[in-house]
Amino acid sequence: MVNNITAHKGPQVTRMLAYGVLSLSFYFLLYLFEDEILAFSSRGRWFFAAPVIIAFVFSFAHGNFTSYFWDTLRIEAKK
Amino acid sequence: MEIASNFIDLNALDVIYLLLVGFVGGLVSGFIGSGGAFVLTPAMMSMGVPGIVAVASNMCHKFPKALVGAIKRAKYGQVDVKLGLVMGVSAEAGVLYGAHIQENIKRAFGDAGSNLYVSVAFVLVLGIVGSYVLRDALRMRRSAHTGEEKVARLARWVQSVQIPGTMVYFKSLGTRVSVLFTIPLGFATGMLAATIAVGGFIGVPGMHYVLGASSLMSSATELVVAFVMGLGGTLKFAWSGMVDIRLAMIILAGSLFGIQLGAIGTTYVKPHMIKFVMGVIMVMVLLSRAIIIPVYLADLGIIGKLNPYLEGGLKNVSFIVLIAALAVGAAIIFSALWRGIRLHRHELEMAVVPGGAIQANTVVLPASPQLSPIGRYERFLVASDGSEYSAGTVREALRMAQKCGARIRVISVIAGDNTELYTMGEQLIAQELNSARLNLDAIARQAAASGVACETEVVQAVHIHEEIVTQADRMQADLIIMGRRGRRGLTRVMLGDATARVIGNAHCSVLVVPRVAEITGRHFVIATDGSRFSDTAAAAAGSLAKLCGTPVTVVSVHSPSHSEQWRQEARRAVNRITSFLQQEGVSAESQFVDGRSDEKIVEVATARNADLIVIGSHGRTGLERVLLGSVAERVLNLTTCAVLVVRSP
Repeated sequence: MVNNITAHKGPQVTRMLAYGVLSLSFYFLLYLFEDEILAFSSRGRWFFAAPVIIAFVFSFAHGNFTSYFWDTLRIEAKK
Repeated sequence: MEIASNFIDLNALDVIYLLLVGFVGGLVSGFIGSGGAFVLTPAMMSMGVPGIVAVASNMCHKFPKALVGAIKRAKYGQVDVKLGLVMGVSAEAGVLYGAHIQENIKRAFGDAGSNLYVSVAFVLVLGIVGSYVLRDALRMRRSAHTGEEKVARLARWVQSVQIPGTMVYFKSLGTRVSVLFTIPLGFATGMLAATIAVGGFIGVPGMHYVLGASSLMSSATELVVAFVMGLGGTLKFAWSGMVDIRLAMIILAGSLFGIQLGAIGTTYVKPHMIKFVMGVIMVMVLLSRAIIIPVYLADLGIIGKLNPYLEGGLKNVSFIVLIAALAVGAAIIFSALWRGIRLHRHELEMAVVPGGAIQANTVVLPASPQLSPIGRYERFLVASDGSEYSAGTVREALRMAQKCGARIRVISVIAGDNTELYTMGEQLIAQELNSARLNLDAIARQAAASGVACETEVVQAVHIHEEIVTQADRMQADLIIMGRRGRRGLTRVMLGDATARVIGNAHCSVLVVPRVAEITGRHFVIATDGSRFSDTAAAAAGSLAKLCGTPVTVVSVHSPSHSEQWRQEARRAVNRITSFLQQEGVSAESQFVDGRSDEKIVEVATARNADLIVIGSHGRTGLERVLLGSVAERVLNLTTCAVLVVRSP
């Protein structure tokens, strides 16, 4: 049992860290290029795709990170 | 590059505020499928964000959040994607139409008119739907059907209507339903979303009460609807360049933590909890909007002008109640999640420890082959005080343990806290402990002679019933065996009150053995009221009757106040149980009698010369029990034979 948990936790922590770093990078870029990104995503018309794509990209990285985050804390769904 | 005038500067406090509100909003959305977003628009506006940018940014965080939540809950098998998409597309049309109505009202009556329209929509929809949902949740919690959801009458009718060319199969409903029902429902969801920012307050109850999906499926499927609506809304606002991507992504950072946790929470709670959280939030939001209505009425000149202090006060109170609605919802979810996880971990820990709290070297492997936790009799906890009243308890516990191949743990509880015991004096305490020890040693010898695995312990506790229940939980007992009442006096008490409290609080079945009772397997009487508690009792009694080869009478007592429909349902339940027992190879017959349930059950037991009465338990305690009474307890007071109170899992 203990071995199973340890074996299961290893890659889980790695994935959490990987997605965490990715998510943090995205947020750091957003902070660094705040004005440019805001101006670009709010041009309107055919630039409407910009906020939608940004939202999808962020949700992919951050969604996976938050999922692994709770798993790593052993807050998991009842099976 | 200059930031457009629509977008504000953000400082660290703003970011933390948005992260926190996003987290709580996400938590609620993950749990009830919706309802987390309504506070975000006013929260952003309170920071100075223009209304339209706040709405646009809220939308832009909503669709990726709903997507992540829907994927998470789909992993738990709770999402009906087809229903979500069908509802979502029609909701999109509803959003456009709702926004169009809003614009017209604003053009005709100004901001105050538009606000009044929104508030009235809030009060009407939330007042009717919210109070219904809350009442239903409370009814489910109280009723015997906790954990099971019935399809509403309206939904049964909707499912029965066949309109050729429009029928679509939905897995959450398990049947085909005409899209002519789902489209208006989706449309109404969208209209509400455009009006009060939370379409789910119509969407979730609609899918549940009108279409017949379970509340778990409805709340999860609503996330798909929210994704479609959120994406549509974002495209519309992004076309006009109104989305503040920074705000949206900061809220998303908090809300994705929340939505994952909310989704996990749904796997630990009973269905009524989802309705309860939704109902509480809806009613509190309704209160928030009702508080502010006089301000809009004054703005429109319908009532006199309000004092500026009163106006400001009403606006502030309204906003505080709005925040409180979300906070209360989140607190309920946290509490349910915390309790659920703790209980689940405890169960898992107990499951991996061989023999639970019982020492492995004292245990003979049980012979019981039953698989069901309902009918398993492998571990007994016996409470003995050494008095004449518990002599029957020990005797019958050993007899049953022999028959079932169970192991037993016998405890003697010394009641009182340290101060009370100290005042008794050392000599008296030693005497009591010694006496208890001698009694348990004698029981251990009896058990050894009977070939029953047994361990004993003297324990000290302030409340006897709590200690017995805790001990039973710790060893994962299948059955607690105790006397009906014990001797009062110094310490080793086992009062009738303690017995009643154990029945009310125990998580396993309780066998109460009066002093003279003997369970020799002459005849068992199963009392049923047709509820699932009775079914559980019947299954447990069936296992026991099979082991003992005992004939069984299934009795249902009708009172004159019961309707004909109730009687028919009760008859069906009794016949179902009887057939089940017969299939199990038990000799079973049914009996229907009129009168007071406790008296009639005892009468039947006496007439049949029964040695055991089996009753299902609702597990009520405290005020609820005082008000509703307990048939099991009243039967216990009337009969001299043993009573098995079976607790539903």
